[in-house]
Amino acid sequence: MKKISSEDVSKEVHRFWAILSGNLQVKLEEMYAPTAIVFTGKAKRSESAKLMAARRSRHRPGPGLSSRAEVGSIDVQIVGQDVAIAAYTYSFNTQKILANGGKVQINTSFGRATQIFQRGEDGALRIVHEHLSAAAPPATEKTGG
Amino acid sequence: MSNISSDDVRAEVKKFWDFLSRKLKSQFAEMYLSSASVFAADARRMEPARLMLVRRERELLGPASFVATKLGSIDVQALGADLAIASYPFHLSITRTRANGKRYQSEVPHGRATQVFQRDEKGVLRIIHEHMSSAEAVATKELPPTDPPKQA
Repeated sequence: MKKISSEDVSKEVHRFWAILSGNLQVKLEEMYAPTAIVFTGKAKRSESAKLMAARRSRHRPGPGLSSRAEVGSIDVQIVGQDVAIAAYTYSFNTQKILANGGKVQINTSFGRATQIFQRGEDGALRIVHEHLSAAAPPATEKTGG
Repeated sequence: MSNISSDDVRAEVKKFWDFLSRKLKSQFAEMYLSSASVFAADARRMEPARLMLVRRERELLGPASFVATKLGSIDVQALGADLAIASYPFHLSITRTRANGKRYQSEVPHGRATQVFQRDEKGVLRIIHEHMSSAEAVATKELPPTDPPKQA
């Protein structure tokens, strides 16, 4: 099996954010191993990546909404033949539609990510564990609607 | 070499918090591999564990500091014979001493930890990566200079 390289991992990280930003029409679920566990957003406990990916997919930007992610320098630690840890900072700006039809802009300026990738038997790199957090609470502003 | 068991990893996590709360500096430092990287709960950037250790030693392991933790359920994902991920929620109460001598008490009721353990060349499980965060904003208050550290 092909050894994991930092470039492979960085590519997957950028693919993840392209999907989340709505710039790549691939199912987010495909990024995760079936048994993956995630800590995300304001969740107090870890949860199955399957559940989280289904929820994130529902909230992906639709028509008239936009999202933008900027990923900082990605630190990749190769830990064994088929596992790598990607750790980096990010900013993520996204829009959501409120129940009353209004729009809000949510800006996460100091995001921090740990994603642990493992190469599966099919050769694909998938996330087995993810921890996303922010060093400061996201800023929310109404943008009309 | 035997596979890493979930019980072994849970025991290491408990040791980690025990060493920190009992201020066992060298044992605590030995939990980390020299190449380990860390996202501390309140840091904007990742840093080498050795830098974080210097800060934690100054702020959390001094005589006027105090650490108490209640751990939630520890999930363990074994990734082969040498690697495992522990993830868990925790409640942390700390009194830390800043470089200027001022002391602050913080409550972190909804802490979240990811710790990646790797066996070293001697077979000892040590942390190669750590990500700590809080699901809610952390409440911190400055303590008066004479106020002794809160005890459990």
